[in-house]
Amino acid sequence: MHIMKPSLLLTGYFWLIVAYMIFPALIVIPVSFSSSEFLRFPPEDFGLRWYGVYFTDPVWIAATVTSFRVAVLSTVIATTVGTMTGLAIIRSPTHAQAPLTYATTIPIVIPHIFIALGVFILALRLDLTDNEVALAFAHAAVAMPFVVLITSAAIRQIDPTIERAARVLGAGPFRAFRVATLPPLLPAMVAAAIFAFFVSFDELIIAQFLMKGSETLPMRIWADLRLDISPVVAAVSGLLIVVTTVALACAEILRRRAISTLAP
Amino acid sequence: MKVRQILWLFLPATLLLVAFIAAPSFDLFRASVFDPDFTTEHFERLINRSVYLDVMWRTIHVSLTVAVLCTLIGYPVAFFINLQPRRRQTLLLFLILIPMWMSILIRTYAWIVILGRDGLVNQMLAMLGLATEPMQMLYTSGAVLAAMVQILLPIQILTCYAAMTEIDFDLIRAARVLGARPRQALARVFLPLSLDGTLTGLVIVFMLSMGFFITPALLGGRQDTMIANLIEFQVQRLNWSFAAALGVVLLVLTVGMIVALRGAGKLLARRVLKGGL
Repeated sequence: MHIMKPSLLLTGYFWLIVAYMIFPALIVIPVSFSSSEFLRFPPEDFGLRWYGVYFTDPVWIAATVTSFRVAVLSTVIATTVGTMTGLAIIRSPTHAQAPLTYATTIPIVIPHIFIALGVFILALRLDLTDNEVALAFAHAAVAMPFVVLITSAAIRQIDPTIERAARVLGAGPFRAFRVATLPPLLPAMVAAAIFAFFVSFDELIIAQFLMKGSETLPMRIWADLRLDISPVVAAVSGLLIVVTTVALACAEILRRRAISTLAP
Repeated sequence: MKVRQILWLFLPATLLLVAFIAAPSFDLFRASVFDPDFTTEHFERLINRSVYLDVMWRTIHVSLTVAVLCTLIGYPVAFFINLQPRRRQTLLLFLILIPMWMSILIRTYAWIVILGRDGLVNQMLAMLGLATEPMQMLYTSGAVLAAMVQILLPIQILTCYAAMTEIDFDLIRAARVLGARPRQALARVFLPLSLDGTLTGLVIVFMLSMGFFITPALLGGRQDTMIANLIEFQVQRLNWSFAAALGVVLLVLTVGMIVALRGAGKLLARRVLKGGL
């Protein structure tokens, strides 16, 4: 594999760029443990004051609960629809697979602001603004392409003859899928679901346009950053950074297992 | 599997995409020219006011700058990962993937903590005695650029990396056996072969930059307004039709630029393959 050994300069450069990508997020964590009124670095004294404010402020908690509700519904929709689509793509004729993948993953390349504006204008006419279910479906449309990409890559690794054997032995199409294809596919589906969850949970613009009465967590953070930058945002960010990192690292491990043929 | 079964499996995705992507897009186009009767006034307003033309030009300019910077910074990073043994590559990729999936809102907020009046950089400067009063770094174009490159860099690194893993290393070995020095083998064999994937990454980063909204709004000043920020502003003022016209312009500019970049990339690739670099 080695064509050359990386020079010391290249190694140093690599770690410098990794620091540039990761350091800003890491710096938020010590700031979140500050107990002073203003954003300062390094913090003057440490404490859990702003975490306390976050957990006791009904506005912040309501926003978190709303985001959670929308994200869960959106994840269920995106994972179900995306897995069905992934399966359909892999079971289609080989020459049709690439165009079908492009067609069903198109939302990835459309700017969110464009989707947000379109959904908003349509929702205005249909009187669907301020509707959490509509928001969850819009998020699902944006998250589904990621599910399609992850699950189709995993399904490609699953031997279709097992499902065919189940059919030959008398199982119906659903039962054959449940017995032969679903178990090896499950890790990829869980990975896809985690990714889909965070696509919705972190999404700001569509929610910002669509929702008026209730607000999601990103909307709350956005409003806070626009008005005065209170350290509550640091506490929320600190929590989210830890939760996101752990969850997405798990999802990535599951995804890698599912697409590597060497996996047990 | 029978064709009918496959079609049934495609049905939910089709419904979801039609209802939440295609129909809204269509409605957006409709709203941009019907208000309520057919009119081109919104597009005329866009073209006739230099403020709006400035924003469009800036959006393209910033997005191109970000895409080129990400490519120049990201290519060596992807190359470095590619030189590592397999197991190590997976670990290093995690370092790129984790920031990629983190909320853009939070990653932008982190820059406020770093560049703010009492932020990290100003505190350090004061501690080292290099500055007597805080430097204004927030609400500048530089802040927007630094953050946008940081946010989009992982995407370019991963795209470059994916392209590089496809390269058959025997070709480089062959070049070495035939007497090419390592540097020559890289410039004449490796670089041309990785060019297509690198250009794909550049186009993806450009495309994502065009729709950027959070970062210019929080880290930039008035002079950093991009099309997406203008759209939000017009929506707040209930000018939906004008916002829709801006949305159409954003999409047309993005698609047009992608076609142009792809064309330019093909030309460049042909020249490089001829050995003209």
